[in-house]
Amino acid sequence: MATVEPTISAPSQATPPPSRGSQISMGMLSMMFFIGSEVMLFGSLFAAYFFVRFNVADQWPPLNSAGEPFELPKIITGVNTAILVASSFTIHWGEHRLKHYGDRKGLERGLLVTMFLGGTFLLIQVNEYIHLGFTPQDQAFGSTFYTLTGFHGLHVFVGLTLLTLCYIRVKRAHDFTPQWSTPLQASSLYWHFVDVVWVLLYILVYLV
Amino acid sequence: MATHAPTHSDPSGHAHHVDPRPLSYWWKRATLWSAGSFLFSFGLIWFMRTIFGMDPLWVSQVYVTAAASLTSIGFLIGIGCFDWWWQWMTGRRVDGEDHSMHGAHSWRDYFKVNTDHKVIGVQYMAIVFTFFVLAGLLAEAVRAELFTAGQTLGDGETYNGLFSVHATVMIFLFVIPAFAGLANYILPIMIGAKDMAFPRLNALSVWMLIPGGLMMILSPVFGAFSAGWTAYVPLANQGGTGTTLFEVGVQVVGASSIATAINFLVTIFTMRAPGMTVWRMPLLVWANATTSALVVFGTPFIAGSQFMTLFDRVIGTQFFDPAGGGDVIAYQHIFWFYSHPAVYIMMLPGFGIISEIIATFSRKPIFGYRALAFSTVAIAVLGFGVWAHHMFVSGMAAWLRVPMMITTIIIAIPTGVKIFSWLGTMWGGKIHLKTPMLYAMGFIGVFVIGGLSGVMLAVIPVDIQVTDTYFVVAHIHYVFVGGSVFTIFAGVHYWFPKMTGKMYNETLGMISFWIIFIGFNATFMPMHWLGIQGMPRRVSAYDERFEAVNQFIGIASIVMTLGFLVFFYNMITSWRSGPKAPWNPWRGRTLEWLVSSPPSLFNFEATPQVVGGPYQYGIPGARHAVVFAPEEIGGELTETEKRTIVVVADETVASAALIDEVRHRASEGLWRFTFAVANEDGDSRAADRRLQVALSVLAESGIDASGTVVEGDPFAAVAAVSAEEDVHEVMLATYPTGMSAWMADDMVDRLRKSTGLGVTRVVVRPEDARAPLSLPGVSQVAVVADEGLGTAGLVAALRERADRRPIGVILLSPMNLTGPGWTDEAEEARSAAFDRVRAAIDGLQAVGVQSRGEVLDGDAAAAATIAVTGHRADEILVIAARGGRLESDEALAAVRAAAGTVPVERIVVDAEAPASPSGS
Repeated sequence: MATVEPTISAPSQATPPPSRGSQISMGMLSMMFFIGSEVMLFGSLFAAYFFVRFNVADQWPPLNSAGEPFELPKIITGVNTAILVASSFTIHWGEHRLKHYGDRKGLERGLLVTMFLGGTFLLIQVNEYIHLGFTPQDQAFGSTFYTLTGFHGLHVFVGLTLLTLCYIRVKRAHDFTPQWSTPLQASSLYWHFVDVVWVLLYILVYLV
Repeated sequence: MATHAPTHSDPSGHAHHVDPRPLSYWWKRATLWSAGSFLFSFGLIWFMRTIFGMDPLWVSQVYVTAAASLTSIGFLIGIGCFDWWWQWMTGRRVDGEDHSMHGAHSWRDYFKVNTDHKVIGVQYMAIVFTFFVLAGLLAEAVRAELFTAGQTLGDGETYNGLFSVHATVMIFLFVIPAFAGLANYILPIMIGAKDMAFPRLNALSVWMLIPGGLMMILSPVFGAFSAGWTAYVPLANQGGTGTTLFEVGVQVVGASSIATAINFLVTIFTMRAPGMTVWRMPLLVWANATTSALVVFGTPFIAGSQFMTLFDRVIGTQFFDPAGGGDVIAYQHIFWFYSHPAVYIMMLPGFGIISEIIATFSRKPIFGYRALAFSTVAIAVLGFGVWAHHMFVSGMAAWLRVPMMITTIIIAIPTGVKIFSWLGTMWGGKIHLKTPMLYAMGFIGVFVIGGLSGVMLAVIPVDIQVTDTYFVVAHIHYVFVGGSVFTIFAGVHYWFPKMTGKMYNETLGMISFWIIFIGFNATFMPMHWLGIQGMPRRVSAYDERFEAVNQFIGIASIVMTLGFLVFFYNMITSWRSGPKAPWNPWRGRTLEWLVSSPPSLFNFEATPQVVGGPYQYGIPGARHAVVFAPEEIGGELTETEKRTIVVVADETVASAALIDEVRHRASEGLWRFTFAVANEDGDSRAADRRLQVALSVLAESGIDASGTVVEGDPFAAVAAVSAEEDVHEVMLATYPTGMSAWMADDMVDRLRKSTGLGVTRVVVRPEDARAPLSLPGVSQVAVVADEGLGTAGLVAALRERADRRPIGVILLSPMNLTGPGWTDEAEEARSAAFDRVRAAIDGLQAVGVQSRGEVLDGDAAAAATIAVTGHRADEILVIAARGGRLESDEALAAVRAAAGTVPVERIVVDAEAPASPSGS
């Protein structure tokens, strides 16, 4: 059973209570809109990718300067995808421990494992960049590939930052209770979003 | 309603701490952080390029990109946008109710980070109007170049830079944030909230405009950004460093936009007052919710497009370079997928403002509330499906043309629904042609023209003919200037009293409107013709046959600029020294008009209750909302349809008898009062001063009263008011029968017959009409004077004070008697003093200042004591005759000592000849 930790109550709202109709917290709602905005940002990058792929290129993947088609490491990235997807489950486990058992230690462990998996994903991605053999300047193929994966990597980094902040709040400020954990929920929602984008990206850019 | 803001008692029980750090601290910190991050960015890039062995080490675009981005962030950190979050994210204890950066106590608080949505709203308006002036100057430079057919100012590149920066600044730093700023101030109050959902994010949004805006406005200095605001590739990437600054600046300003939009959406979704269902939301709220959704889901597309062009430019990617398998057309698709919805981002909030104004000034429920709300949403949804109509001649897929033409034309339908709803609202209404309404009606006219030329441009053959000609320039300016700018100006005038607590000058407002309206049409109407004749846009040298028309346009644009100057003069002088605004000068129904002007720190004492629709004008008893206020200012406040009593008076207007009668009737709760001072042969300024005294007293008592001076007899006065509103009764204040010229003519009966209304007569004794009112709302000025009493200098000094605020005057004439008071000398002195007092009262009466006098045996200091204790004077004025005994500094010091905390001012006048007041 969970150890009992000192708790601080949820910050009282500086603003008047929401009207009857809204059951959702302001923080979660804003994160949802923000994710909507992020979806559109990736939408614009994917749009450019589709233009390049379906509107311009004669064949896909196109030929590089040596006259051979570009190659992407499907297997290792597949493993990497699995790592990132797994991290979605670990963060959910952490949240679940807090919400249903009031287990802040469990949450800490969930956060740590998630951050570890996310960091691993980033490292593997950077390693992939080093060994790919082509650069962002190598045709529109290279440009779209690096921009899509790079923007995603940046989002993973932002997600990791959010999780780190949550971890600091849990550790140092003894924040979050089963009743109130909006920043944690919002960060975890963002993390799920980053995962979903990656799955799409892996399918569309690497596999198909 | 009272005209003072109620003292705020924080309902949550938190003391309101004020941040003690001075303004200079924040700006020093901002400077240090900006400079530090600027240097850091250079070091970072140099370091990275060195360790990765990149060659060459110096690529200016890379350094500029890094410097622009990091300096922006450094500035925002330095100015303090992230302080609270930093506390939070480092795991320290934070106070969610930390209001130390909330609200403005002096002008300094407007120049630092502030979390009060009202302060932020004002900050927004100040920033955007600064950029408006700068971008307007660029437009005048464009017109200067086009004044002659040849090349005059610099080279073609300079010209390209001028119009490109003009457009980007106007769009990204005037129109879009101006709507955000107005809504920032008004929208939370309108929905009954204390602030926005995320006040700190709100502050961050406004401060992001500064680095973003500076990047855009300074871009010409670093090599012109010259591809037009659309920044089409490959042209954009061939331009100077300014293009890089544009591409980074768009990201910063876009981030600000998205943050604000999320803030608005969450505010509107979760913070509406109880009872405010979506169908009771004012249309401005609808418009802003829709616009915010467009921003949240649209703006990332321009961010994406600018990221990609930036990468193409800076790190050599090949998104839009056909040589590397890129697609040029893709840029245009991605860009317009945002930028077409962006024109609705620049228009929908304006529609919301216009809906508010048209309903309020037509005194009728808005026609087709739901149709207006739905059409707003429909425009937003359809707006995402029309982008390619900008690209008919770009070489895009041909099959896309016709569907895009059809969807574009369909957008005219919800827009038409709006236009007809506004016309339907005005039809049969009682239209008040105040400045906001003028702008609103001007907007409808020019927007119809701009909208119709838009439909023409949507038709493919027409578009092919006029693409990249002045026809397009005319269209975009008809919708952006006639549409967005007119609505912003309408909104600025409409909410000016609420935001500043002062009234703007109506005459100047109307003058500015007409100059701008005429100048605008004269400037842009001929461009339609130029375009059809084939004059291409974005060229600095053109065919000579267009020269005459271009010169006409150039002159017309100067006329329009003059109109803007009148506008700025009006706004600035009114803000500094305009008359105090009542709570609800337009008799609006929405919640912002039920709080003081400007509103108190947290807007409401307690959460208001919404009980009906927002536009129930003309329906007796209908109410939109109830605001709970302290008992001393009336407890419950609500705005319902009241009936008008016209109060007709002459010199009798500021008399205690009339005020008592009005108060008595007001307690019935059904009436509002419109004063009409019939000025038959007197000085109308004098009549106005008396009127202001009466209105001020009534405003302090929380009575809904307004008034004007009408030249002419009581019939003219009643007729003037009847033209504006429905009059139910006439109240006539006259002197007693036998002393009143009006009563000698049977005025009561004649008024009753001619108007068909009931007439109540209030009898005012002449001495009552002349005596000053000692009631709240009138500041008591005690005058201590020797031989200076009765001079023109005294009258001039008091008249000047009366123009600033309503005053009542007590004239005290100390005789400085040292011996017994019954001697002949004393008696003579006394009667001379009485004469002077009488002359002064008469002189003041002639200029409309009410006064009474006393002659005292003692000296000036004794008079000052009596003024403070007996008359509760708010100010003491020492009028010293030149060479008289009061001119000495000892006498003044004695008066100051006797006056205590009451301010004392001395004016030296020339007792012999009429003198103008000189300083003390």
